[in-house]
This record gives sequence, C-alpha cells and structure tokens, in this order.
Amino acid sequence: MYQTFRQSMTWLHTWFGLVLGFVLIVVFFFGALSVFDREIDRWAQPATRFAPQPMPSFDHLLRPVFERITEPDPDAIELARSLVDGPLPEKYPVMDWSAYTTHRDPVLDVYVSFDLPNARNPDDHVHGHQTIDPRSGTQLPASDLKIGSEFFYPLHYSLHLEWMELGYWIVGFAALSMLAALVSGVVIHRKIFRELFTFRPQKQRQRVNLDLHNLTGVVALPFHFFFAFTGLVIFAGIYFPVSETQLHPLVEAHEQAAAAATGLPHDPAGIAAPLASVDAMVGDAQRRWAARGMGGDVGFLFVNHVGDANGYVSIYRAGTDRIALTGQGIHYKASTGALIREDPPETAIASVNEFLTGLHLQHFRHWLLRFLYLFGGLAGCVCIATGFLFFVEKRKQQHARDGVAGARIVDALAVATITGTLIAALSMLVANRLLPENLVDRDEWQKNVFWLTWLASGIHAFWRTTVVQDGESAPAWREQTLVVAVLAVAAPILNWLTTGDHLLVTLQARYWPVAGIDLFLLATGVLAGLVAHRLRRPALAHTRLAAMKS
Amino acid sequence: MVVTLSRIAAAVLGGYIFVWGVVALSIASLAAGGMDYDQAWTLAMLLAFLVYLLVFIWAFAARRLAIVWVVLLGGGAAMTLGAQLLVGGR
Repeated sequence: MYQTFRQSMTWLHTWFGLVLGFVLIVVFFFGALSVFDREIDRWAQPATRFAPQPMPSFDHLLRPVFERITEPDPDAIELARSLVDGPLPEKYPVMDWSAYTTHRDPVLDVYVSFDLPNARNPDDHVHGHQTIDPRSGTQLPASDLKIGSEFFYPLHYSLHLEWMELGYWIVGFAALSMLAALVSGVVIHRKIFRELFTFRPQKQRQRVNLDLHNLTGVVALPFHFFFAFTGLVIFAGIYFPVSETQLHPLVEAHEQAAAAATGLPHDPAGIAAPLASVDAMVGDAQRRWAARGMGGDVGFLFVNHVGDANGYVSIYRAGTDRIALTGQGIHYKASTGALIREDPPETAIASVNEFLTGLHLQHFRHWLLRFLYLFGGLAGCVCIATGFLFFVEKRKQQHARDGVAGARIVDALAVATITGTLIAALSMLVANRLLPENLVDRDEWQKNVFWLTWLASGIHAFWRTTVVQDGESAPAWREQTLVVAVLAVAAPILNWLTTGDHLLVTLQARYWPVAGIDLFLLATGVLAGLVAHRLRRPALAHTRLAAMKS
Repeated sequence: MVVTLSRIAAAVLGGYIFVWGVVALSIASLAAGGMDYDQAWTLAMLLAFLVYLLVFIWAFAARRLAIVWVVLLGGGAAMTLGAQLLVGGR
C-alpha cells in the first residue's frame, strides 16, 4: 500500500492524528486545567476559600464523620443494581474508612466502602463519600460541585462516559494514537533540530501553521510522549484486566500469601472489636517518620475491617516532598494500637512505576513544574489545533473544486473542539457564579450548561463553516473567539460581584488560587480579543477585493 | 480500502491480542519464577504499551500485511495459551 516507510508513517500521522486529534485536544486541554484543579475548585466554591488543612484529629473529628455515613451514595446504589442478583440489601455492612488529602486541599474527602452482600462478584463493593470542612467536621453540600477536581479532571481521562468504561477506552486509544503520531511525526520530519528554532509568522498562513505545529510538537516532544505513555500505565488495569480474568487464580493465591507475610489480615474475623485511639497511632507514625528525617504530614488514612477483631489502621505519609501520592505506610492493630508493620523501602520496579505515575499526577509540591505542565499541555493543544488547520488549508481548494465536504467537516469539528471547548468550560464557570445558591441540583445544572453550550458551539461551528466548501475561511472561528473573549472577562467580574473577592483583594491577601484563576481568565479574554481582531482582516480584505471586482 | 481497514484492524485489534499475550505470559512466568505478583504485574504493564506502540507502527510499516496478522494473532494466541498453562498448572 505504501512505497516507503516514510509514506506509511505520513498516512498514519495524518489520519490517526486527525480522527483521534478531536479526542486528544479535549484530553490535553482538560489535562492542562487539571494541573490547577484544586485552585479551580476554590474559585467555584467560595465557601472553601481558606488555607489548606492538615489531616484532622481522627478520634475527635473524623470518627463521628465516618460513623454518620451509614449508606452508599445514591448514584453508587443505582450502579449496584446491575451488580447484584435480586433486590438490593436493606443495610450495607461497613468494610473500611479512608481519607485522602494533599498540601493544596482546604477541604477533606472521606470515603466509606460497604460490602454488597448478594453481589455476583464477591469483589464488588459500593462506596459512600463526603467532603467535609476539616476544621469543624461539617459536611459540604453534595450539590456543591468541585468543577476542577470532580468535573474537568475526570473529563480529562474518562470523557464522563461511564457506561462500560467507554470513555477510558476512547482516551486510551487516543493516547496510543498520540504515541504513534509522535513517532511517525519524527519520521516524517527530516530537519528535526532546525524545527526547534523555526517560526516564521510573516510567511503565508500554511507555512505558519506547519512551523507552529512542528515547534510545539518538537519542543515538547518528551512532555507529550511522557504524558500519553504514563496515562496509559495509570489505567493499565482497565486496558488489560488480566488480574480480574485470566490470572485471577494467581491473584487469590498472592493475596493470601501477602496477608500471611505482612500480618495484615485479608478478611475480617467476624468477631466484634473496639477501635483504639487512632490519634495515638498517628503520633507514633509521625515519630517514626521523624526518626527517618521525614516530614510528618498524613496523606492517606485507612481503617480496614471496621469494628472487627482483624481490623487494622494504615497511615501513609503525604507525598508533598517526593514524587508519589503517598508513601512510608505504617500499620497498626485497630483494637489495641500495637504496631503490625512498617512498609519496607520500595523495590526498583515499584519505584519506577511510582515515579512515572507520580510525575503525571503531580500531587507533590513544585509550583514551577506545575506551570510547565500547564504550558506543556497548552502547547499540545496548539500542536493538535495547527494540525487540523494544516489539514484544512491543504485540502480546502481541492475539495471546493471537487465538491467534497471533507475540509468543511474537519474545520467545523476543529472549531467545536478548540473554541467550543473553551466556550463550554467558561460558560460553566459563568453559570457557577450566576445560578442561585439554593438551586436544587445546582451541580447538575452546571454540568448541563457545560454540555449544552458545547453542543450549541458545535451546531454553530457546522452552520458557520459552510463557506469552506467554496474554499474560503470560515467566520465561525472569529465569532466563537469573540464569545470566548466575552465569557473570559465576564467570569472574573461575576466572581467579584457575587463574592467580593476581586483581584485587588485576592492579590493583596496573596490568595493565589482565586487571584491566579482570575488573572488567567483575564489573560484568556485579552488574547481571544486580539485573535478575534486579527481574524477580522482577511475577511475585510476579501470584501474589498469583491467590491473592486464588482 | 479493504486493505487499509485490514491494516488498521491488525494494528489495533491484532496489536491488542498480541500485547494481552505478552502481559499474561510475562506475569504468569515471572510469578512462576518466584517474583511477587504485584511486581510482575507492574513490570509487565510498564512494558505493555511500549510493545503495543512498536507492533502498532510495524503493522503500518510492514510490506506484507499477512505476516503482520499471522505474527500478531498467532503470537498473541500462543502466549495467552502459555499463560493459561502456567495458571492452570498451579
């Protein structure tokens, strides 16, 4: 089918890059936003605009919180219907309690796992979850959506298509295609080093597109490869579920052996037992970390087999100062507080895995790297977007002559996934500030605004790209860019009007989560305004030309 | 057109079956050799997507598509069967 290796790689790059590019640009954009997910949460949840908090006292504060979570979340119960034979149980036995926090979290997420007695697969459990103010233990309303960590972040890896984990598979396939596009892209280009320094904005449009495509692709090549690759590794268990299927007998044997070796019981004993002071265990764990010269913030706290004689408490150090989510786990017997075991140092394989996935997820403290991630992700968006534009510019005259709709469809999809995505995300932030505080299902309404504005952008994109069929430039680009500019300026103004936290206040208080988001929004607005202004000129030139001709 | 579709299917589906075989057989044989299951799993998954990328590219670059299909399907089936023998043998 192809004469040379280079031709086959060009085909692969063009077509996989095009089709999966529409997914990838969404993944890259929301991935870039997720780097600041906690900060977006603060912007969207004014009641949580206070300093990050350490893990609170378990005995005084967390235990009553856990004890009041007596049943799974409503959507978890809905999901459980498909996992059981017959009716759902009346009561869900508690299995374990856990809480996770990082150095950027003022609020705390607490989780409870419940057994599902008549589940077809005995490994299936259901979960309850609450977000609390760790200073008081009061629950935040479940309808108070964390737009950053609960909406943009899952969109980045699951597209919010939960059915059959379809979204994960689409994103995984897109990531594999990204890796293939990077390899084939390097093969196609012969002067890769020169392209690091080539950008000629004064040249014709098609040359600019390609320069920018190569520049953003090549400069950030290690970044793009790393994130696509580690993203696949993070969800490897979904993509190759060998442990749940073919190798399941090995897993069962391994779990029993591991429980025997570590002294951490795999199953409950069935005998009720009290829970000793977990605060005392935390204090002991912190002394042991201090003896190793390590900071003592608790990142993850886990109580397994709650209320059972086999219960144990695991305390993990927060990964603030190292590339890992958590580490240095220390385990205690729940009923007595006696030390069971300290986790040994990681093996080489586990360290490599922890480093790769930890570097992707970045829960550690490194603000410079955080900004590099943001710009790396946005560079990826520019790379994919210019790829679309290059595809359209290259073909639109030919397609116009042949009466083929190809270039027009690609241009419309490009508008819908580039400016359309921006419009949807910005509209959601605007809705977050405009919807009444006491609105029922306020979280669902914000999500609806996101999806509906995205849909509207898509419809507008198809409507206002018809002229591409005549070989001209679509007005959809400029119109949607103007909408982006208006929304991006409206959001910080609405934040000011509804919370009083305008930039002078937040900058003076050095409250960066909200000040940073406001500044970023304003910069987006100004940039979009400049782009819209620039996009006006070819249209004007075109009108003048038409006027001269007539 | 059919050839192109066949090539895409070979890269995506043939590649998936091949990598499944690689993953299952590496974990099963490493575990049989005494390595901890979690370690074996992690090692296999770190390599899985690099192998997938290689066979994916190869499926498009190879001259003869038939060979791609034979290697990916045959190799994938053989390795999956090998893993099954190791699991069943315990």
